[in-house]
Amino acid sequence: MARTQSAPAAGRDTASSRPAAAGARPPRRRRGLRKRVELTALLAPAIVLFIGFVIVPMIFAAWYSLYNWSGFGPLNDFIGVQNYTGVLTGPVFHQALLHNVIIAVLSLVIQLPISIGLALLLNRRVRGRTFLRLAVFAPFVLSEATAAVMWYELLQPGGPLDALLKAVGLGGLIHYWLASTSLVLYSVFVVATWKYIGFGIVLLLAGLQGIPPELREAAAIDGATPWQVTRAVTLPLLGPTIRIWIFLSVIGSLQLFDLVWIMTLGGPANASSTMLTYQYTNGVQRTEFGYGATVSVVLFVISLVFALGYQRYALRRDTSGALTRAVT
Amino acid sequence: MTAASARLGRRAPRRDVIRERRTWLSLPASYLVILLVLAITLAPMLYMIVGGFSTTAQLNANPNALPHPWVWSNYAAIATSSIFWQAVANSVVVAVVATGLAVSLGSMAAFALSRYTFRGREAFYLLFVVGLLFPLNTAALPLFLLLQQIGLNDNLLGVALPEAAFSLPVTIVIMRPFMRAIPGELEDAAIVDGATRIRFFLRILLPLSRPALITVGILAFVTSWNSYLLPLIVFTSQNHYTLPLAVASFQSTYTQDTARVYAFTSVSMIPALAIFIFAQRKLVGGLVGAIRG
Amino acid sequence: MRGSRKPAIVAVAVAAALAIAACSSSSSSSSSSTSASSSSSSSSAKVTLTWWNNGNTQPLLGVWQSVAAEFHASHPNVTINVDPIQSDLFTTKMPIALKSDNPPDVFQQWGGGQEATQFTSGKLANLSSLTSSWITELGQAAAGWQVNGAQYGIPYDQHVVGFWYRKDLFAKAGITSPPTTIAQLESDDAKLKAAGITPISLGGGSRWPDAFYWEYFAVRDCSQSVLQSSIKAINMTAPCFTQATKDLTAFMATNPFQGGFNATQAQTGAGSSAGLLANGKAAMELQGDWETSVVPALTSDKNIVSQLGWFPFPQVPGGAGASTAVLSGGDGFSCTTGASEPACAEFLQYIDSTPVQEELVQKGGVGLPANTAAETVLTDPALQAAAAAHRNAAYDAEYFDIAFPTNPGQALDTALANFFAGKGSNETIINSVSSSSGH
Repeated sequence: MARTQSAPAAGRDTASSRPAAAGARPPRRRRGLRKRVELTALLAPAIVLFIGFVIVPMIFAAWYSLYNWSGFGPLNDFIGVQNYTGVLTGPVFHQALLHNVIIAVLSLVIQLPISIGLALLLNRRVRGRTFLRLAVFAPFVLSEATAAVMWYELLQPGGPLDALLKAVGLGGLIHYWLASTSLVLYSVFVVATWKYIGFGIVLLLAGLQGIPPELREAAAIDGATPWQVTRAVTLPLLGPTIRIWIFLSVIGSLQLFDLVWIMTLGGPANASSTMLTYQYTNGVQRTEFGYGATVSVVLFVISLVFALGYQRYALRRDTSGALTRAVT
Repeated sequence: MTAASARLGRRAPRRDVIRERRTWLSLPASYLVILLVLAITLAPMLYMIVGGFSTTAQLNANPNALPHPWVWSNYAAIATSSIFWQAVANSVVVAVVATGLAVSLGSMAAFALSRYTFRGREAFYLLFVVGLLFPLNTAALPLFLLLQQIGLNDNLLGVALPEAAFSLPVTIVIMRPFMRAIPGELEDAAIVDGATRIRFFLRILLPLSRPALITVGILAFVTSWNSYLLPLIVFTSQNHYTLPLAVASFQSTYTQDTARVYAFTSVSMIPALAIFIFAQRKLVGGLVGAIRG
Repeated sequence: MRGSRKPAIVAVAVAAALAIAACSSSSSSSSSSTSASSSSSSSSAKVTLTWWNNGNTQPLLGVWQSVAAEFHASHPNVTINVDPIQSDLFTTKMPIALKSDNPPDVFQQWGGGQEATQFTSGKLANLSSLTSSWITELGQAAAGWQVNGAQYGIPYDQHVVGFWYRKDLFAKAGITSPPTTIAQLESDDAKLKAAGITPISLGGGSRWPDAFYWEYFAVRDCSQSVLQSSIKAINMTAPCFTQATKDLTAFMATNPFQGGFNATQAQTGAGSSAGLLANGKAAMELQGDWETSVVPALTSDKNIVSQLGWFPFPQVPGGAGASTAVLSGGDGFSCTTGASEPACAEFLQYIDSTPVQEELVQKGGVGLPANTAAETVLTDPALQAAAAAHRNAAYDAEYFDIAFPTNPGQALDTALANFFAGKGSNETIINSVSSSSGH
């Protein structure tokens, strides 16, 4: 970090205790007003845009969930919580929810270590580093539709993947990747990993690059092995970034849709269904918009519970971490 | 941390020795891993790119063989297709607006939420986080009706504005901790030097947050670039189509001209990749500046 | 400081983009308007029709364009904006469009219960009086496009579902003539397997191809009156439906389909069920007459259509249904209410006129025309056979997912697809159409 002039180390909170300096600050009351003006200027545009285009539609969608509505004609069949009991007690929905949870857990257990490892690797000064980063990130840049179509072709029976396995003598491993009800969810997970791991790596790289190399070097000078350096210095400092990654990854797992829909339509026989494919099948295709809105609200509540819990127990640490300072 | 800084002041490390011992994965093993990763990430895309040089008949007959002969007509047809360029232009406009709005408004909000204390701060933050949790799919119908009411139907802004709004949560969630991590002493020093908070934001904080800014910029851009459902609903006339819509429409129009579809899809990857390369350079450049201060 | 220029550049870029976006919006709002400021007579006022059709692939794409141009030439006051949209997207776009103030004037319609569901939006135009002078030419076909006895949609083609087969592969397996009973079909399947050929390709991943099988067994097993009353009541508890499931189960036990059929799409790419047939990887497919327009793009064999033959779904012993009954459907268009109705009705009449119908059949590959007078131009023997089977059918049964309102129709398709994937039973199929099921 840059070397700055030393400031009073402790007891620094209000202006009134600050020593007068060149460019004295205005009195307290005007500072309060000024602060409020600044805050408004900073926050208001985002808030307005957000409420207008996200919150308001959300509220309407939640409103639809109380109706039995085909999407055509007026909203006139109020059924209260009937949609909710239908969703929450339905075994097909439970199955979809389970799939989402499986994917979330798998991404924590498999994608996170791989992402961290690759980010660490790509942070080193190896030759062609930029190209490597580009290559790893490239799948993320593809649209969902493109990636899904591509992998759909690759995973066809007798398609390129099967041919490759045969060519290297692993023909015994060939299965019906997308047609088998027991494998399809995991095939989808592999494709999702392929697509999204670049995002995680870019995020972790940004975090890594906020860690000054002098810290690692200093620890190495002190006699730490490379692994110890990573474990004791890099990973903890990467903590906040990792925690964001986990948060975004779990939310993303709960909302998985496009990739699955295009590759498998949630099938066969709901074997790769997610909550949102369930919503599309039961809400849009069956023209039960009210029911579909219910699924979204339920999904939202599940995500909210997770987010609140996560915020309290995991992210709270970052607010009082070693690198942060409270600002009045 | 101060101890390490102090140590640095005392003697310079021997860089060559450090570099050798710095990692836990030896150099050849690292290269092996890298090659494996490259193979897995790039192979499917290469397959598609090469497939674009083939003809559909060949692909149907033998999907795994190399093109024989290599035909240029698929890619040539795209380069001369006005639909393609129109869609690229539309995508660019929408993505630039959406990204610009999301990053600027988002970092302003993140600044407010990270370095000011005020009543209801966490509530505002939660409000944004809440937006992350609601899938776009369901908001689609009410959003469409809203856009209709304000007259933004079949309009590029009608897609860009909601996209910016939906990108705000991710932007803020990522930027806030980064901004928090900037030490308070910098701000104090700036204020002591006579700068306002806003000046500090623009002149010091933003440049220091450049890695995070680029990251959220890339995310917002790519999200907007690949967005499919929202443009599908908002746009009715084909000349407003963004690239994913054009790809999908192309795919179903040339429905089973698989080679042509591969070519079109391959080409549509280029702009987003180009932006990423461009941003990457800035990312690397920005870091050096950020660390050396 | 280095960072200070960046916000400025960003601001300029965003402003420029906003300006571009705003400019483009003003030019767009005029292109899809449906202005018809004055009277209901279309012959005097200038009218612009926005037309959403599903002909986004050649050759239909080009044919619709020329039809629109021809109509404009003879009706200069009517301009038609053609918007081809991929078929599956209508499920997403139509509810939204019908909720807006500005739905398309003419749009793709499949009739039956689906049309009845859309009817509740109140935006479908009642064309009974506007078409009364000529609608009888279409005969029975038009009936499937009525809601409560009034005409809300007009068909432009008809479809019939039957078995398409490759004559060369049949010959290779030593099959001299197509099967007429299920037992014969099963023994032919065995012969094909013995010759190393996959007997039947099935696009289980798309769900609706699965449904054809069960529905045909239901059509064979159920008498006409039971069938029609069950569909009207959205109730499949009659015993003949259970019998259909039994028959289907027995048929599936002979393993006639390709491996991994649960994930195979119906029409996309060479790996689809249509593609397998087109490339000789399977000998038969149970599909609609549109097959002849789908397969040419999936193979390099230029003569693929002449390689295909057609035979009707075989007879089922002991079935109460007529052995000549066919599963059928069609494509058509609906008009939306408003000042554009008369022009819309005239346009649809034009589409059903014999010359245009002949053009659709010969160049557009739509299959069978709605106006049977145009059947004379059918040259392909397989299509002629299909047309004859349709003409001579004792009665038509509309495919169930169209005959039912959308909700139970889709639920049935899903239940059947699940059944084919081994996850379902007769109960799940029968009960799928009741409103609280399948969740």
